[in-house]
Amino acid sequence: MNLVKQLFQRRELLLILVQRNLKIRYKNSALGFLWSLLTPALMILMYACFAKILKFSDGADYLPFLVAGIVIWQFTAGCMNDSLQAIVGNTNLVKKVAFPRIILPLSTAFANGVNFLLTLIVLIVYLMLAGVFSYTNIYWLIPAVIMQLMLCIGICCICSVSNVFFRDTEHIIGIGSLAWFFLSPVFYRIPMQTSAVTSVLGLSEASQFQGIVFLNPMTGILGLYRAALMENQLPVPVGVSLWWLFASAGVCLALFIAGLIAIHKGDKSFGDVL
Amino acid sequence: MSSNTPVAIDVCNVTKRFKLSNNAGSLKTAVLDLIRKREQQTFTALNDVSFKVHKGETLGLIGANGAGKSTMLSIIAGTMYPTIGHVTHTGTISSLLELGAGFHPDLTGRENVLLYGSIMGISREDMRKKFDAIVDFSGLKDFIEQPVRFYSSGMYVRLGFAVAVQVDPEILLVDEVLAVGDADFQRKCLDKMDEFKSKGKSMLIISHDMHTIRSISDRIAYLDHGVLKGIGSPNEMAAQYGAATINGKNGDAKREWGTGEARIASAKLVDSCGKPISAVSDDQQLYFELEYDAPERIETPTFGFSITDEAGRTVFGSNTEIEGFDLPYIKGKGKLMLKVDAKVLRSGNYMMSFSLHNRNHTINYHRLENHIPIYLPTAIGFDGMCKLPVEWN
Repeated sequence: MNLVKQLFQRRELLLILVQRNLKIRYKNSALGFLWSLLTPALMILMYACFAKILKFSDGADYLPFLVAGIVIWQFTAGCMNDSLQAIVGNTNLVKKVAFPRIILPLSTAFANGVNFLLTLIVLIVYLMLAGVFSYTNIYWLIPAVIMQLMLCIGICCICSVSNVFFRDTEHIIGIGSLAWFFLSPVFYRIPMQTSAVTSVLGLSEASQFQGIVFLNPMTGILGLYRAALMENQLPVPVGVSLWWLFASAGVCLALFIAGLIAIHKGDKSFGDVL
Repeated sequence: MSSNTPVAIDVCNVTKRFKLSNNAGSLKTAVLDLIRKREQQTFTALNDVSFKVHKGETLGLIGANGAGKSTMLSIIAGTMYPTIGHVTHTGTISSLLELGAGFHPDLTGRENVLLYGSIMGISREDMRKKFDAIVDFSGLKDFIEQPVRFYSSGMYVRLGFAVAVQVDPEILLVDEVLAVGDADFQRKCLDKMDEFKSKGKSMLIISHDMHTIRSISDRIAYLDHGVLKGIGSPNEMAAQYGAATINGKNGDAKREWGTGEARIASAKLVDSCGKPISAVSDDQQLYFELEYDAPERIETPTFGFSITDEAGRTVFGSNTEIEGFDLPYIKGKGKLMLKVDAKVLRSGNYMMSFSLHNRNHTINYHRLENHIPIYLPTAIGFDGMCKLPVEWN
């Protein structure tokens, strides 16, 4: 409660730091903020070209499926990447001025969030053009955004604090995020992921633990986003209980709380270590 | 400062230890330490330090490099936490620690000013109102829309100082900022600090410039290797610090030698009434009491003294012969009084040496080298080592 009060008092600082993070990203570039829209658009174009040339396809809607997955994944990956510098890169501030430290990873998460929102607009436009956009299940967007935001804040806090004490974090995150990318249904579909995992774990097809893949929070998040924005997409595969989404949500919440604890525990030593 | 003035900063039994590690910040060390349960080596930066800064008071913090001054300020500013003890303060704190440290090189002066303000906890509304004053004070009107990486280091500091003082905190922490900036800017800073003082706000200042810190502080605290050696009047503490630095710098600068046929048994700094004192009064009249002891009769002895500055240069030296104070002989114990008018000398740390020799300098009975450290507190401003009488017509 105290934290919420502190954050409310320093909301302007949070706002200014978010602005700063965004400004710095495109500082000294001729197109500036336009890049936030241009990058995803060009990325989509690139994937479209290569998908066409290499003919890798898994159904007619594969390209939109893949692009949506990548856009959503990049929010999480971007947070992981930027959070490494959230505290270490602001050593001067941390050493000289007292303010709630959580503002630093939080501003990183929010700056990435703003960027993601812009990308999401590009994505929606693309899905419309591709003819697979649907808003009938748009309400899934609410749990999707809440879960991903909690996840990202949690990750930002944990990674930023960890990088203060162990500079190895940088390398671990580099390889770890690649592993996570492959473990998440970004370029393959959840049923495929489910059957792969169940066979690895030796579970039967009918096992009630088929939803175990939802312990990876990105599985739930990707499922929800796709269900919200695209036609004929379900957040969970057929035969898996919707309740498994709570597994993803639970992990998001757990990481969020772990992040808050990490910041709280680390706070007292930042000044000494940096 | 009376004891019932409200306390602005209360430092209570603060001890700060840092962990020492050859390979800090690596996962490997952390894991190994965990496995081996190795005793962490620690370094004690502050050792059980307690003091209070009253409301409206300016406290100077002096000490050699590594004495723990900056650690103390960081703990008060809240960017470090004490290992033991606690610090409480009333009112907002603004710190002038490495001015402009929070500036981002790619942002413009204007953006950085707003960022800095919000870090200090000032609302954007208030910051906009103060913006013009900040720009005026810094004198960077023409550059404010430029990214600060194009700024010179002096411009950086000027902008940082302008923001920090315009924030108008209850307590101002100043760490060695006067070392940077040109004379004009330093003047501005000092004026601002005076203004700050006159508003009844509290300040804590670190500086190696003894002259400045002595003139602006109400009291001075002297830290040595993390231990609070003393807290008291500026003159007294400056003298104590000066003595310690000179002794420390030249190893055992305090030496004595001689044939020993006659000795200067003691030499003391005293006041005009002959009472031993530790600090020179503001009028810079030096009084020394010398006790000699000559077991044998010594013919035509000469007592001499010299004043050396911090660099070891002899500023002035004289003896009884030169001054025409002829002593035909000494025998047994006796006392001499020496008065030196040091009004003309500029403020700083000096060392007094005394000697007892025969008239033509062939026999050196006893010499006390660098025997008494003194601090001259004059506030008269002039250039050079001493003030000569000047008359303009």
